[in-house]
Amino acid sequence: MNSFDQSALLLTILVPLAGAGLSMFLPRNRPNDAWYFAIFVSAITLVISIGLFVRYDFGVGGYQFQRIYEWLDAPLNIDLHLAMDGIAATLVLLNGIVLFGAVLISQTIKHRTRDFFVLLLSLGSGVFGVFVAQDLFFLFFFYELAVLPMYLLIGVWGSSTIFDPDRQRLWGIPIPFDLGSYNRPKEYGAMKLMLVLVAGSVLIWVGILALYVASAQVGQGTFSMVELGILAERGEFSPAFQNWVFPLFMIGFGVLAGLWPFHTWSPDGHVAAPTGVSMLHAGVLMKLGAFGIIRVGMVLLPDGAEAWMPVLIVLGTVNVVYGAISAMSQRDLKYIIGYSSVSHMGYVIMGIATLHPVGLTGAVLQMFSHGIMTALMFAMVGAIYERTHIRDITVLNGLMKRMGFASFFFAIAGLASLGLPGLSGFVAEFMVFVGVFKTYLPLAVLAVFGAALTAIYILRLLARTFYGEPDPRWEGLNDASPVEKSVGAAFVLILLFVGVWPAPLTRVINVGVDSVMRLF
Amino acid sequence: MVWAWLIPVLSFAAVPLIILFGKRLPGKGSPLAILAILAGFAIFWVVFAGFLSASPDTEGCEIGVGTEALTCNFQITWFEAGIPGADTKDHDRIEVAWGMTIDPLTVAMLGLATFVALMVQIYSLGYMHGDPRIDWYYAFHALFIASMLTLVLADNFLLLYVAWELVGLCSYLLIGFWHERPEPREAAKKAFIVTRIGDVGLLVGILLLWSQVGSFSMTETFAAVEQGELSQGVITVSALLLFLGAMGKSAQFPFHVWLPDAMEGPTPVSALIHAATMVAAGVYLVARAFPLFSASDTAMLVVATVGLITALGAATIALVATDLKRILAYSTISHLGLMMLSLGAFGYTAAIFHLLAHGFSKALLFLGAGSVMHSTEELDVRKMGGLRKVMPITAILFSIGALSLGGIPILAGFWSKDEILVAVNKDLPVIFIVLTLLTALLSALYMARAMFVVFYGRFAEQFEHVHDAPPTMWITMGLLAVLAIVFGLLALDLPGPFKGIGYAIFYHEGHGLEIVIWLAAVSTVLAIAAFIYGYLAYARKSVNLEGARRTFGWPLKVAENKYYVDEVYQWTVDRVVLSFSRFIAWVDRALVNDVGINGPGDVTRVLGDRLKYHVTGYVYTYALAMALGLIGLAIFWWVVSG
Amino acid sequence: MVPLIAFQVLSAALFAIGLYGVMARRSAVLIIMSIELMLNAVNINLIAAASHLDGMGKWANFDGQIIAIFIITVAAAEVGLGMAIILRMYRNRSTVNVDEINLMKW
Repeated sequence: MNSFDQSALLLTILVPLAGAGLSMFLPRNRPNDAWYFAIFVSAITLVISIGLFVRYDFGVGGYQFQRIYEWLDAPLNIDLHLAMDGIAATLVLLNGIVLFGAVLISQTIKHRTRDFFVLLLSLGSGVFGVFVAQDLFFLFFFYELAVLPMYLLIGVWGSSTIFDPDRQRLWGIPIPFDLGSYNRPKEYGAMKLMLVLVAGSVLIWVGILALYVASAQVGQGTFSMVELGILAERGEFSPAFQNWVFPLFMIGFGVLAGLWPFHTWSPDGHVAAPTGVSMLHAGVLMKLGAFGIIRVGMVLLPDGAEAWMPVLIVLGTVNVVYGAISAMSQRDLKYIIGYSSVSHMGYVIMGIATLHPVGLTGAVLQMFSHGIMTALMFAMVGAIYERTHIRDITVLNGLMKRMGFASFFFAIAGLASLGLPGLSGFVAEFMVFVGVFKTYLPLAVLAVFGAALTAIYILRLLARTFYGEPDPRWEGLNDASPVEKSVGAAFVLILLFVGVWPAPLTRVINVGVDSVMRLF
Repeated sequence: MVWAWLIPVLSFAAVPLIILFGKRLPGKGSPLAILAILAGFAIFWVVFAGFLSASPDTEGCEIGVGTEALTCNFQITWFEAGIPGADTKDHDRIEVAWGMTIDPLTVAMLGLATFVALMVQIYSLGYMHGDPRIDWYYAFHALFIASMLTLVLADNFLLLYVAWELVGLCSYLLIGFWHERPEPREAAKKAFIVTRIGDVGLLVGILLLWSQVGSFSMTETFAAVEQGELSQGVITVSALLLFLGAMGKSAQFPFHVWLPDAMEGPTPVSALIHAATMVAAGVYLVARAFPLFSASDTAMLVVATVGLITALGAATIALVATDLKRILAYSTISHLGLMMLSLGAFGYTAAIFHLLAHGFSKALLFLGAGSVMHSTEELDVRKMGGLRKVMPITAILFSIGALSLGGIPILAGFWSKDEILVAVNKDLPVIFIVLTLLTALLSALYMARAMFVVFYGRFAEQFEHVHDAPPTMWITMGLLAVLAIVFGLLALDLPGPFKGIGYAIFYHEGHGLEIVIWLAAVSTVLAIAAFIYGYLAYARKSVNLEGARRTFGWPLKVAENKYYVDEVYQWTVDRVVLSFSRFIAWVDRALVNDVGINGPGDVTRVLGDRLKYHVTGYVYTYALAMALGLIGLAIFWWVVSG
Repeated sequence: MVPLIAFQVLSAALFAIGLYGVMARRSAVLIIMSIELMLNAVNINLIAAASHLDGMGKWANFDGQIIAIFIITVAAAEVGLGMAIILRMYRNRSTVNVDEINLMKW
C-alpha cells in the first residue's frame, strides 16, 4: 500500500467537501472565481477517481483500499470504514466524470454562483461517501448529504414549467377538472423530490436500525457492513426477519432509483433542476438507489432478496415499458429525458432483480452507461434551452443547422439510449436481457420490446427537434460554447469507448458481482 | 484470408476521419471512403484466392456444420461478463468474441457488397456533386457498408446483431439524409422503427438460442441443432424469431412498408439498400442460419409462405405504381419474397444466386433511375416517355437491367429465377409453383412497363434539353450491366475447374444446374410474352389499357393503394399506440402523481388546515386542555395501576 | 396531629381555585396570581406528605421540602419573567386582557 492507496478513498470524500467549505470564503460578487475553483476541486476528484479505478486490482477482487477510522466504541460501534469493490470502483469513476462535467457545464450559473458550487460539491462528496462507506451509519449519513443539497439546488437555481392549457386534453377532449400539477413551478419539483426521497430514507433508516438490533441479539451490535455481512453469510438473520426488512431497503433505495410507482419525483425534479444538477441527479444520484439495493439489501439480506426479487423484477419491467410509453407523448425535451431515465433505470432494477451474474453485471454497466448518456443529454438540452428558451419539441425544429455540435452530441446520446450497438447502452442492456432471459423469460421479451419503444420516442424527438429547415427565430443562434463542446465530445468518446471495448469496465465489475453472487 | 477483417475495418476507419477532417480534405473526404472500399474490394480478391486455396487442413478451417462447405473461423475475445472463470455452458458467464467466419456464402456476399458499394460510391461522386454535406454522406456510406461487411463476416449471433443494428442506423441516416424535407424524415423514422420491431424478434431469438446452447457462436449453435440437443419446439420458435428480424430487414409482408418510402433518400442510397446491404441482410440471415431453419418444417413452410405472399403482393403493386423508384422498390420486395420462398423450398443455392443476380441488376436499375431523376428531376412515369432520345446510354443500360430482372434468357435474372422455380417445384405443393410462375409473369410485365414507358414510345417534349449522365455515373452503370449480362453464366458448368455455382455455394451437398425443361420453357415464354405485351401496350400504345382498367376496377384500386397496409399501420400508430401513450402519460400525471404522490401530501395539508382551528389563541382554552389532560392522565394511571 | 388528608383537601381546594382562576380570568396579572396559587397548593401537598412519612422518624426525609424550595425559586423567576412580559404587553397593546392577545393562533 502506497500513500495514494491509503488515503485515496478518504480524499474522494474530503476533497469536494473541503472544496465546498473553502468556496464559502470566496468573494461573493465574482462568479467566475467560484467556477474556476470548483473546476480545480472537481478535477482533483476526477484524477483521484480515475486513479482508484485504474489501481483497483481486478485480478485479486474483493474490497480494496481498506481504511478504518475509529469513531464510536461499543455499544454503538460506528467507525468510518472505507473500502471499494469492483462495483463501487465503476461508480466512483462515474461520479468523478459526471461531477467534473457538471461543474464545467455550470459556467452559465451567474446567480449566487459561489453558493451553487458549495452545494454541488458537497453533493458530490456525499455520493462518493455512499459508494465507499462500509458502515451503515456513514452510508446513511453520506446518502443524506447527497440528497439534501438537491432541495436548494433546484429551489434556488431551478426553472419552472408552465404548460399551455390545451395540454389538459385526453383524446382531444378537454378534461373538466384541473389536473393541477401540469403547471410545475420549481418549488413544486424541489419539494416533491425532497419529501419523497426523505420518506424513502426513513424506511432505510428503520431498516438500518433493525439490522443493528438484530446484530445485537446475536452478539455485539454493530453498524459495520463487513461484520453484518459475515453474520448474514453465517445465516444469523432469520428468513422471517429478512423478509420484512428487505422491502424497507428495496422501497427506500428504490425510490431514489426511480422505482415505479415512486418515480414521479424524478421527471419533475430533473425538469426543474438547472443543467449541471440534472446531470448529477440523473447521472449519479439515481444510481445511489440501485447501488444501495445491491450493497445493503442483497449483501446483508440475501434470503429476503431472494424472496422479494420476483416483485422487484415486475416493478422493473413496469419501469421500462411504462417509462418508455410515457416518454412517447411528452412534449418537453427534459420530460422526455426524465421519463427515459425512469425507463432506463428499469433495466438496472431488472438486472439487479435477476440475481444472475450476467444480469447484475449488466445492471452495473447500465448504471455507468446511463449515467454518462443521460448527463450528456441534459448538458446538451441545457445548451439548447440556454439559447432558445424553449424546450417544447413541437415548437423547436431544424436545430441541426444552427447548433450542429449540440445536436450531434445529443443524437449520439439518444442513439446510445435506444440501445444502438457500438455505444455503451447496448452492451449493458444486452447483458441485462441475458440475465432476465435466463431467469424470467416472459419479462425479458417485454424488456426487449421496451428497447424498441425507446427508439420510437428518441427518433420522434430527433426528427422534431433537430431535423428540418430551421425556424427564422433561430437566426443567429450560437452553437455550443467551447466548454459545452468539450464536455459533449468527452462524453461521446466515453460512450463509444465503452460500447466498442467494454472489457476494461466489465472485468472490474465482474469481480464485484462475483463476490455478491457468492451469497446466492 | 485472416486479413478479411480489414475489409470492414478500413471502411469503419474512414468514418471518423471523414467526420473530423472531411471539411479540409479534397472532395470533402469522399476519396477517403472510396479508397477504403476500393481497398476492401481488393482484399476481397485476396480473401477469395485464399479461400479457394484453403482446405480443411488450413488453420482455423473445417468442414462447416450443416452446410458441409469449407468454413474458416477466426476470433478474438471482445468482452466477458458474469462470474470470472465460470463455465459458459452453465450460463453464469457470457463470452463474446469479435469473430469472423469465411465460407462460400460469406465470400459471395463480400464480393457483392464490396463491388456494389464501390460502384455506388463512385456513382455518387457525380450524383451528389455539389451537395453541401457530401462529407457526411460519404461518412454514412462508409459506415453503412462497413456494418454490412461485418454482418456477413460475423461468426456469432451477437456480432451479427451488432452489425445488423448498425446497418439499420445507417439506412436511417441515409434515407433521412435530406432531412429538410418532411418526407425523408418520416421515411427514415419509419424504416428504423419498422425494422427495429423485427429486431426485437431477432434479439429474442438469439437470446433463446443462447439460453439453450450457452454460446452465441453460430458453429456451436448449429452443432447443437445437428446433434439434437435442442427440442423441436425451441428450434421452431427460435427460427421463427430470427425470421421476424429477417422479415423486418428484408421487407417481407407485413414489414415491407418501410422499403418503398426509403426511396426518399438519395437514389444511390436506394441502390445500395436494395442491392447489396440492408435488404440482403434478411435473406443472408436465413441462409446463414439454414441449419436451424431446415431442422424445422414449420419454420420452412412459414418462410416459404411469407415469401410467396410478399412476392405476389408486391408484384401486383409494382404493376400499377406510377413512381419510377416506387416500381423498383416494390420489385425489390417481390424479388426478396422470391428469395425467401426459395429458401423455404430448400433452394439454398437458388436463393443466394438470385440474391447476387438481383443485386447487380437492381443496383443497375436504381442507378439508371437515379440518372433519369438527376437529369429530369421527375419520377412520375406518366409524365415520361421516349427518353432514349436524350439519354441513350442510360436507356440501354436500364433496359439491360430490366430484361435481366424480367427473366429474359441468358441474362443473369433468368438463370437464378429458373433455379428458384425448380426448387419450388420440387419441394412445395402445386399451388406454390403456380403462384410463383404468376409472380414471374408479373415481374416481367412491370419491368417491361417501367422500361417502355420511360425510355420508349412518344417523346415527352418537356425533356428536350435534358442531358445524359456524366461519366462517373454511366461507367459504374456499365460495369454493373456487364455483370447483369454475364453473371448468370456462372450457373453453367464452365470449362476449367468451375463446375457451376451449385458446387460453390451449397447446403449439404453440391449439385449441378438443374433444368426442368417445361418450367424453363414456360417461364421463358411468359417473360418474352410479357415484354412483347409491354412493348405493344406502353411503347406502341397499340393495346388499349382502358378495357383492362375497367375489368379490374376495384382490385386495381386496392393494388394502387398498396392494399391499404400503410393506412392500417398509420391508424394503429395514431389511434392505438399514441393514444395509449397519452393515456399512460395521463395516468402517470393524474393517478400515480396527483393521487399517489401528491395525495398523502394533500391529505396532510387538508388535515392541518382543519386542525389548526383548535389553536384558539385564548389562554384558558390551553389551560382547560392542560387540566383535562392531567385529569385524563391521572385516571389512566389509576386504571392501569389498578 | 393534623391528619394528612386535611392538608391534601386544602391543597386540592387551593389548586382547584387556582385552576379556576387561570381558566376564567381575563387579566394576565390575575392569571399569574392563580398560577402562584396552584404552585403553592403543590408546595403544601409536598411538605405535608414529606413530614407525614411513616417509619422513618420525623424529618427523616427532606425530598418534599427540597422540591418545594425549588418550586418557590422557579415560581419567583416565573413571576419575574411573567410580570416583565405583561409589562411589555401593556406597553405595546395597552391591555393585559389575554383574549385580545391571540396573535399566535393559526
